[in-house]
Amino acid sequence: MTAVASIPTVTVKRKIPASAQELFDAWLNPTSLAEWMRPCSSGTSRSTVEVDAREGGAFVIVMHVPSGPVRHTGIYQTIDAPRRLVFTWNSPHTGPEETLVTVEFRPDGQATEIVITHERLPETAQKGHTAGWTEILESLAKTINA
Amino acid sequence: MVEYKFPSKFARTSDRLDAAFSAMADPTRRAILARLALADARVTEIAGDFPVSLNSISKHIKMLERAELVRRTVQGRDHILSLNAEAMADAAEWIEYYRQFWEDRLASLEKFVINQRKSAKKGKPK
Repeated sequence: MTAVASIPTVTVKRKIPASAQELFDAWLNPTSLAEWMRPCSSGTSRSTVEVDAREGGAFVIVMHVPSGPVRHTGIYQTIDAPRRLVFTWNSPHTGPEETLVTVEFRPDGQATEIVITHERLPETAQKGHTAGWTEILESLAKTINA
Repeated sequence: MVEYKFPSKFARTSDRLDAAFSAMADPTRRAILARLALADARVTEIAGDFPVSLNSISKHIKMLERAELVRRTVQGRDHILSLNAEAMADAAEWIEYYRQFWEDRLASLEKFVINQRKSAKKGKPK
């Protein structure tokens, strides 16, 4: 698998008291996915999902928020149970270009740490290292909000 | 957990965001942005800060201008560069939006697996 990171990248981690297999299944089982892949705010109904759980297969997740349905689509690139899941991700606000989501499942005792990396893939972007990038944005965000 | 909204703003600014992210993909251009974040600077000053040709720096600056991340003001013979904080803020907002999005999804996933276990213990059909 490619180790080259695109820019920019969002990384989010969470340790969850469940096995990697349990968590991995929750991403690909449509009934499970419909249940948790939805806005947390109360009053929102279950998402409508379609999952073709194979590499090259597509998924559709329609989240129902008060302002109307929001459609998310993508293609599974890698399904490596229960370690790694990679898929493209398109939504009304990712823009016309593809974004890529990598979900890693790292067993840690009785729990599993999930690491999500979401990359924007600009067409013309040179591949490079992310170091320094987020720091600039963060310091600027601070400056702007100050 | 925060109330979750889908801002339409990202769709509107998407082209500009793509240009901004492409421009920021290069380490030299990021360094120029970091330099301009400290203070406005002349093109010649920026060129002096980097061990590359003026021609090459000039190309990088043009890309940053096209992406609207940097603005150029001409004062007599001096070309002064400054950062366009607004365009930078849009990019920072995209990052922040998706950070929040995935954090909320993972919190929801945790709630889901814990509830699922509780139901399994009680022997309730799911």
